[in-house]
Amino acid sequence: MLSFLIGLPILSAVAIAVLPKPMNGDNGRAIALLTMLIALIWSVLLGFKFDVGLTTLQFEENLSWLERLGLNYRLGLDGLALPLVVLNSLLTWIAIYSTDPEVTRPRLYYILILLLNAGVVGAFLAHNLLLFFLFYELELIPLYFLIAIWGGARRGYAATKFLIYTALSGILILVGFLGLVFLSGANSFEYDVTLAQTLPVSAQLILLSILLVAFGIKIPLVPFHTWLPDAHVEASTPVSVLLAGVLLKLGTYGLLRFGLGLFPEAWAIAARYLATWAVVSVLYGAFTAIAQKDMKKMVAYSSIAHMGYILLAAAAATPLSTLGTVFQMVSHGLISALLFLLVGVVYRKTGTRDIDVLRGLLNPERGLPLIGSLMIVGVMASAGIPGMMGFISEFMVFCGSFSVFPVQTLLCMVGTGLTAVYLLLLVNRSFFGRLPEQFAELPLVEWRDRIPSLILTLLIILWGLQPGWLAHWSETTLTALLVGQGELATPALIAPIDASTRSPAAL
Amino acid sequence: MTMVSSSNRMPSSHPLAELIYRLEEGGALLPDSPDNLLEVVGILKSYGHVLDAYWQNLIYIADHQFLELFPFFKYFNGEVSLGKLLRHWWHDRINYEFAEYCMKAMLYHGGGGLDAYLDTPEFAQQAQAAIAAKLKGNFLIAGIHRVFPDFLPEQVRQFCYYSALGQFWRVMSKMFLELSDRYDQGEIRTIPEVVQHIKQGLVEAADKPITYTVMIHGQAFDLLPAKAGLTFLMDTAVPYVEAVFFRSFPFMGTVSYNAQAQQIAAEPERFTYGALYADPLPVGGAGIPPTLLMQDMTHFLPDYLHDFYRKSLRGESDVRVQICVSFQKSMFCVTSAAILGLMPHPLDTEDPTKRAQNRQYLEGWMNRLLESRLPNVQLCRV
Repeated sequence: MLSFLIGLPILSAVAIAVLPKPMNGDNGRAIALLTMLIALIWSVLLGFKFDVGLTTLQFEENLSWLERLGLNYRLGLDGLALPLVVLNSLLTWIAIYSTDPEVTRPRLYYILILLLNAGVVGAFLAHNLLLFFLFYELELIPLYFLIAIWGGARRGYAATKFLIYTALSGILILVGFLGLVFLSGANSFEYDVTLAQTLPVSAQLILLSILLVAFGIKIPLVPFHTWLPDAHVEASTPVSVLLAGVLLKLGTYGLLRFGLGLFPEAWAIAARYLATWAVVSVLYGAFTAIAQKDMKKMVAYSSIAHMGYILLAAAAATPLSTLGTVFQMVSHGLISALLFLLVGVVYRKTGTRDIDVLRGLLNPERGLPLIGSLMIVGVMASAGIPGMMGFISEFMVFCGSFSVFPVQTLLCMVGTGLTAVYLLLLVNRSFFGRLPEQFAELPLVEWRDRIPSLILTLLIILWGLQPGWLAHWSETTLTALLVGQGELATPALIAPIDASTRSPAAL
Repeated sequence: MTMVSSSNRMPSSHPLAELIYRLEEGGALLPDSPDNLLEVVGILKSYGHVLDAYWQNLIYIADHQFLELFPFFKYFNGEVSLGKLLRHWWHDRINYEFAEYCMKAMLYHGGGGLDAYLDTPEFAQQAQAAIAAKLKGNFLIAGIHRVFPDFLPEQVRQFCYYSALGQFWRVMSKMFLELSDRYDQGEIRTIPEVVQHIKQGLVEAADKPITYTVMIHGQAFDLLPAKAGLTFLMDTAVPYVEAVFFRSFPFMGTVSYNAQAQQIAAEPERFTYGALYADPLPVGGAGIPPTLLMQDMTHFLPDYLHDFYRKSLRGESDVRVQICVSFQKSMFCVTSAAILGLMPHPLDTEDPTKRAQNRQYLEGWMNRLLESRLPNVQLCRV
């Protein structure tokens, strides 16, 4: 069942590649859209069939591959991966839908997007360390080309920078995994096997540090973040949507699955430093966002700030805060995708993203009123206004983390206030006031430009009002993740679990 | 500045000299072009229908809602039904509020014989009599009237403006619809012919008396009696042009201002927020009067004008702004007619003194129009 999610986009990519031209000339888009629609329905169906009471892997698939290397094709789904798998299918569909139908070299473009989707979903489903690494690397290649071919003026620079950073991230992950297996004397890269290792704390700390840098590049955390604003600014809108919405989540997912999951003792020791690191990332991202004039760069820096919350919550490692990490991943995925889509429409219609030039775009007749209204909703969601998903996720993160790291949590909450500052600056400068003469003849916004943003907005509000629909998928898995390490962890880590647990039965 | 060589006209150093020459040669403030003609006639047809609804409501309010404490159904013209109420709430209706904005602009800026008459003892006496009749048996309001004796007379003055504006628009509505009929019959082919039609209409109605009699408990009160000698052109048309076309008010949403920083002139005569100065771009925004009028005109657009708008860059999505642009063009035609109608001497006079006076008169108007949208409508774009 899970292989279908990986195989379907790959098969469709092959089909687009090999079908003769008349069959796929303009049909590449249709094939890609249909593929992702099926994948989305499939992943939602998996969600319905998913037994929320189980702590074990579900829909497991295990094929031996290179046993001497310890590499097996082992897939499984748990409450941590499920929301991200659904998010990945949804945002890939949205990215394809919001792609300009007149895109140049359409065949290659849709093939790359489908391969990217396959790589990401594979990484979320892999339960073999080497397999995860393979998918993690696989996803870099299409993304590199998507930025390098369809990007802006400095696309070569941005794509190369992205590739160097994330390739380094991949190498470090490989080093970390190899080190873990060799040091523990295991003969397999199976996740379960490595989970049972009992390495000395010093070794754990070294390996954890390597993984932290590796995933810190991907998330990205300050000071490994500099590739992200460049990549976002140069990438086309659909690629930005995927980059912010899904690909950054590979970093936080890896951090939870392999950092917190595999090295609980070291994690407990490092936690306070991680929380402080989160504060630096949040505040740096927020303050830098305030200084930006380019809308896309502003949203990119806001991503850095918002991904910092996930590190804070992961560091605190209480049941509520870990649930907060999943919520923050999904919420940031939806909200940043929405903001990038809207910025993309503004750029396409006005030809600029400069907030010193844009003005009055909310003009009801000649501006972009619906896009502007959705932007205000997106800004409110991002700033954590109640009733929307941003609020629930930030509330869970802060509530869950406060008892463990009160100072760091409070400082991160300052970051939320700053979110309101820079995003309101963006909205106020670009959307309010009188529309200048130079924008008095803006082309019409079509429904094709609006539908993806409307879908995301509805989901942001829906899950903001009904967070339980998402929480029940992840709650059991995450509590088990913490309980599993509870026997090993220091009292400092155990205490908050007892104090603020939401599922007593799981303990 | 280019000079037209054929005539023996005096050169003008005015920044809008070209327009002065054009008016002197029988042209209009708006350049003559087929698109302009289509827009102006089309929009005046729609405006004619809207004015028809407005004047009927203004007269209804003046005659039947006189000093009503709670005029809940003043926009219903006496036909109150559940269906009409639901349509009103659904906003399937004419925005009569716009007519009241215009009425209040006239009341506020005053001018002409009507404004002067409302301050005379004769009017005060009639107004007091009408108030007394209306308040018979209403001790509460009668008591309040004793404490604040200026309040109700001011309300009565406002009702006089309701009636006067209604009477003015009754004439204008008919005139605009006739213009449209003549256009449809092929009699109107140029912008100067449009101006001529309006000027002719204004001149014909110039001496039409403006009167207002209100019936209270079967008794008639002549608030604006015929003997006051108020007439259409000088006591309603000219004050209307002054109040609505030129001065008006700075509506929030159309003009951004900081009144504390003295950004709004202290003297109403220096206001320049009227229809000839209005910025069409904010139209469509909620809560601003121009949106109300443009919205009303969307209901009565002739097909040819509707097609014209549909072919524009944004199609129908910015129809209110497009209507506003056309409407502003048409108002410059009405202004042209008013300017030409009030010329001190005939345009074709050979007397140099009279021609100099005409020139001085036109330059006076142009001074006021310097800051208006006149330069924009010359370019045939927003």
